[in-house]
Amino acid sequence: MQDRIDILMMLAPGLPLLGAILTAVLGPKLLRSQSHWPVIVGTIGALICSLLLLLHVADAQQAADLESPAGAAPYEHVVKLWTWMDIQNAYELGGTSHNFTIDIVLRLDALTAIMLCMVTLISSLVAIYSAGYMHGDRGYWRFFSYIGLFVFSMTMLVSASNFILLFVFWEAVGLCSYLLIGYWYEKPIAAAAGKKAFLVTRIGDFGFMLGLFLIWTTYGSLNYHDVYSDGAFSASTAAADATIAAQGVLSPSRIVENNYVLGGTALAICLLLMLGACGKSAQFPLHVWLPDAMEGPSPVSALIHAATMVTAGVYMVARCTPLYMASPTAQLVVAAIGAFTALLAGLIALTQFDLKRILAYSTISQLGYMFLGLGAGTLAGISAGMFHLFTHAFFKALLFLSAGSVMHAMGNVIDIRRFGGLRKLLPITYATFLVGCLALSGLPPFSGFWSKDAAIASIHDRVHALEHELEHRQAANQDEAHVPGSAAAALPAPLAALSVAQLSTYANVYQWLYYSAMFTAFLTAFYTFRAFLMTFHGELRVPHEAGDHAHEAPPSMYVPLVILAIFAAFAGLVLALSHSFDNFLLHAPSLALGWVTLTELPGKFHASVAAISILLALAGTIAACYLYLYERDQVSFLKRFFNFEWLNQVTEGAFVRLLKNWGPVAAIHNGAKRIGLGWLTALVGDIFLLLVLILSIPLLIGSYLSPYRLSFRKFYFDEIYNLLIVRPLRGIAQLFYWLDRNAVDGLVNACGYIPTRFGNLMRSLQMGLMPFYALAMVLGMIVLLAARMLWAN
Amino acid sequence: MDHMRNWLLATIATPLIGAVLLCALGNLGRNVARWLALAVTVVTLILAGVVVVNFPADGANADQYAVTDVAWLSAQSGLDIHFSIGLDGLGVFLFGLSALLMFTSVLVSWEAIQDRAPLFYTMLLALEFGCLGVFAARDIMLFYIFFEFTLIPLFFLIGIWGSEDRRYAAIKFFIFTFAGSVLTFLGLLAIVLWHAQQNGLNYLTFSIPELTASLQQAPLPFVWQYWIFLALFAGFAIKVPLFPLHTWLPLAHTQAPTAGSVILAGILLKIGTYGFARFSIPMLPAATVHFMPWILGLSVAGIIYGALVALAQKDIKRLVAYSSVSHLGYSMLGMFALNSIGFMGGTLQMINHGLSTGGLFAIVGMIYERYHTREIASFGGLAWRLPILSFFMLVLTLSSIGLPGLNGFAGEILVLLGMFQRAFAESPPQWLAPLQVLSVLAVSGVVLGAWYMLYLIQRVFFSELREPSQQHADHRPVTDMNLREIAAVLPLVVFCVWIGLAPDSLRQRMEPTLLKITAATEQPLADRYTEETEITASALGATEEEKLSRVR
Repeated sequence: MQDRIDILMMLAPGLPLLGAILTAVLGPKLLRSQSHWPVIVGTIGALICSLLLLLHVADAQQAADLESPAGAAPYEHVVKLWTWMDIQNAYELGGTSHNFTIDIVLRLDALTAIMLCMVTLISSLVAIYSAGYMHGDRGYWRFFSYIGLFVFSMTMLVSASNFILLFVFWEAVGLCSYLLIGYWYEKPIAAAAGKKAFLVTRIGDFGFMLGLFLIWTTYGSLNYHDVYSDGAFSASTAAADATIAAQGVLSPSRIVENNYVLGGTALAICLLLMLGACGKSAQFPLHVWLPDAMEGPSPVSALIHAATMVTAGVYMVARCTPLYMASPTAQLVVAAIGAFTALLAGLIALTQFDLKRILAYSTISQLGYMFLGLGAGTLAGISAGMFHLFTHAFFKALLFLSAGSVMHAMGNVIDIRRFGGLRKLLPITYATFLVGCLALSGLPPFSGFWSKDAAIASIHDRVHALEHELEHRQAANQDEAHVPGSAAAALPAPLAALSVAQLSTYANVYQWLYYSAMFTAFLTAFYTFRAFLMTFHGELRVPHEAGDHAHEAPPSMYVPLVILAIFAAFAGLVLALSHSFDNFLLHAPSLALGWVTLTELPGKFHASVAAISILLALAGTIAACYLYLYERDQVSFLKRFFNFEWLNQVTEGAFVRLLKNWGPVAAIHNGAKRIGLGWLTALVGDIFLLLVLILSIPLLIGSYLSPYRLSFRKFYFDEIYNLLIVRPLRGIAQLFYWLDRNAVDGLVNACGYIPTRFGNLMRSLQMGLMPFYALAMVLGMIVLLAARMLWAN
Repeated sequence: MDHMRNWLLATIATPLIGAVLLCALGNLGRNVARWLALAVTVVTLILAGVVVVNFPADGANADQYAVTDVAWLSAQSGLDIHFSIGLDGLGVFLFGLSALLMFTSVLVSWEAIQDRAPLFYTMLLALEFGCLGVFAARDIMLFYIFFEFTLIPLFFLIGIWGSEDRRYAAIKFFIFTFAGSVLTFLGLLAIVLWHAQQNGLNYLTFSIPELTASLQQAPLPFVWQYWIFLALFAGFAIKVPLFPLHTWLPLAHTQAPTAGSVILAGILLKIGTYGFARFSIPMLPAATVHFMPWILGLSVAGIIYGALVALAQKDIKRLVAYSSVSHLGYSMLGMFALNSIGFMGGTLQMINHGLSTGGLFAIVGMIYERYHTREIASFGGLAWRLPILSFFMLVLTLSSIGLPGLNGFAGEILVLLGMFQRAFAESPPQWLAPLQVLSVLAVSGVVLGAWYMLYLIQRVFFSELREPSQQHADHRPVTDMNLREIAAVLPLVVFCVWIGLAPDSLRQRMEPTLLKITAATEQPLADRYTEETEITASALGATEEEKLSRVR
């Protein structure tokens, strides 16, 4: 039984890798246009393995629950493949010495099982879709071997059981992303986008690495799991008398004891890890790479840049929940970054015209919701975040693949201004895109609603819990945590340690995040339907690139779309009402034990929160329909309004000249002219003009910062980063190179001159005159003798 | 294991015999010369492979592995100099790497070297003899002879077969490194002399293992260590090269023929780091501990400076040359973190850099052979024209920027972990803050490294196809890598992947030797730690008292 599980755990990543290798080896010469088969078969095989593993975990958990209903040990199973690095007694911490032992280890628990299923399911569908979409491409085999490599890396990422291995595959998925964004490398813009994606996520990885190093110096381990004295990795497989030889960072034994550092170190670790997550999951301030990543083929955007890789950051933070529980401040920061990013991306998406970029910004925004849920720091919030990750994968993959289908029909045109009214032309795509839009907008009963609403509700609950605590403290008139048992629930220790002032700040911030998340829900519905209506409604327009053969996609493309649409429509409903997702997920070791169990449980449905968010989503949808469904006159009015075009009129200055012709002014001017003082009024006019121009400088800047422009130019993030980071570093590089050639090397050359100069000096003494030598000798002897005599005294 | 000594002797002797043969047979013509050279390097590689593979898997008794010890001058004469060779955990993989890179060098020179080919290959084989000897020598005098012996062939390789500015580059390279190594020699002699004086010996022993063991038992006085360390530093730091002593390197690299660059980057730079690990750290532990923060500082400066200057380059080869400055900074950083993780990482990084940068130089050479230019701006989209070459370039680049799964990562992460451990947990209080800043800066090199290398890849291999117009006479169409060129680079890539996936197999063999080296510094570190902590404590105590007095 256990062996069978081990093999399944290895097959889940192994099959896609095998597929990738087969494609890479056989693709160019043998398989050619059939290169998709090894990868499709591999990913479907991995999907089957993952489903079997999921069932196994569910069974094991049920059995454990039956055995001891109260404190069932969370299921985890760890398999070791080989040792990557093993340095004994590498680090002495608190009197015990720790080994630096990094194995290639796979783990299985509830969190991993869910991620595995999600990843392999989406990958299989995308792989099938790609067989149609990429048909006839020059590097067909190359595409599929990259995809296989990616599926391997992603499944390994979620199966890794130590931080080093996590980081290895964290980078490996980044590499696949780099290769696939730049897949059409002959397009300079694609090559640049790939590089940008790699470098921006590398900045996040910089933080991630620092976080890992701090974990190592703080805990003396980088494993998630314990290592027992007999070499086993979990309590279930260790012998009865075995003791824990090295406690893992995220192991049940540590979590149950809450054996975590608090304070500054905890905050630093969490924030550094979060920086890594920001890079990979495209959160502010490192969100700039994801929109550019849309230069890659659409299936890649769907698989890597919407459904799977970008959620790695969310997965990692959820996995590290025990670390985050130790630092409420870090959780607040996570929530704040999430909410802010969601809002920012929502605002930018309002004015974009590139269909895929709109979807990219919506991905950033939805990832923000996930982090918002995780940042709530409650079981409800974390499971909501993971639930949103799960449902989002379906509807966002659906949207991207549908967008790909549109691109496919439109001859790779993606600007929504250039086509319209496609609903008759692409009926299946129209229907699937609509389902995706409804799910993304968060309208019930589509899946996005359930998960997004849960995330927002968890913030709502968090505010309540904090306020509740504050009330109690005020009632008891004390600055410490109230005694557990006197009221509803005890707070986790790190949170309880906060003072009243801190708590009320936290409650305030969370309250604002809640409002912001609600507003973002409105924006989401609006921009989603804006894009949808501009693409599919209105009069039929087809760009000339499409030729006259614009048609619906082949079955290999629309079948995956339909399957995804079914999931996007119903997965949320089924899982939310049955609570099976939450119940399953909360058996993961990171979530089943420790401080986190003291927090709010998921499953509460807030009618008020749901009502507000539905109303806002409806409002957004209706607003979009009103503006875009039929005549689009108001749109340009709104655009002018938000672009402050009236400001431009003020700043133009031409109206001063026009003043001259205005009745009263003209009368005065003409009168003045008649008595020979025309120059005076002209002068007054010119001064007035100058004044207007000077006054208009801030207004001019204002018009650059008009809401419309800010949104359209993406809040100038690329420009700002270019100006503040890229340019200065390039400048410093040039300066250093100049210094290297002149100062450093100059110094070296100067040293080289000394012997020559010295030699020249000496040479001038060798003049060949006998008397001079004799004189020098005598002088020398006198000096020596004098020195000797002085010495003697 | 006793018969391994013959294999080792044979390995070192083969290139020498080959060089002598080539020289003696006179003007053979290019074809015979290069085939002969190839045969010699292949035989050497096989022999070296046998020696390396047979190295004990747990690294135990590494001191005794394949030792040949013949007295040159007997102890009665006052100078106890031996011809003593053998491999231990520190040298064994560098030894293997040298043999491997020589094979690559011969293959990349195959077409590139047109005139005076026999002489060229003679020099190459002589260089191989020197390199192999350096890593096997167990006697200071022998080490120094090999050490100097590597300079001469490379001087001629650069000076005769280099590019336009070759004379200047060769002379600068020679004088720079020679000036340093003279000081190093003085330092080494000083160790020998003072050791004899301290132990009341009536003869001078030059045996490295003996000196190491004896100096760990009874270290030299600190003042002596201090000055000797500086003398050794002069030679080794130039060789590494440690910032700011690196300016000879980019020049030598850009002017050297491809084979010269491969060997220079792959092997000769390692002699510097090897020297630190072989002599400075174990023989002068107190001075090592004293200079540790400074060397860590210089290493980090080199990491960042090298990376930034690489970013400003317009010439592919010069870019790769500056990246060496940055990478060797990591190696030094790891070694001078003076803990087992860091030291392992630093040593691993030496091998990694040899593989990846050696490979990169080989590929840059192949591009140059095709287009006769190395200017980044004149290329674009080469992946269209040269897909196989681009593939190898990409893999080696990823290895060089430390992508996990390839070798660079294994070294880099250990180096940085070691440095972090030193900075956050294993330092006296007043060192903490500066070392922590250094360690964070060192990590930032990871981002910069990715930046310049990916910039290169994007400009040269991706985007639209853009090729320089070929002014040179040969109108041969540009073709992708042929079998010979693949054979030159493929072994390097295989080892990159292997070390990336299972670095533990190297660790096991190296560890016992490395632990012995770091063990030497434990006591001085502990002394230093208590000393500095006491100073801080007393300073703190004073302020406490002051505060109290104010309160009163």
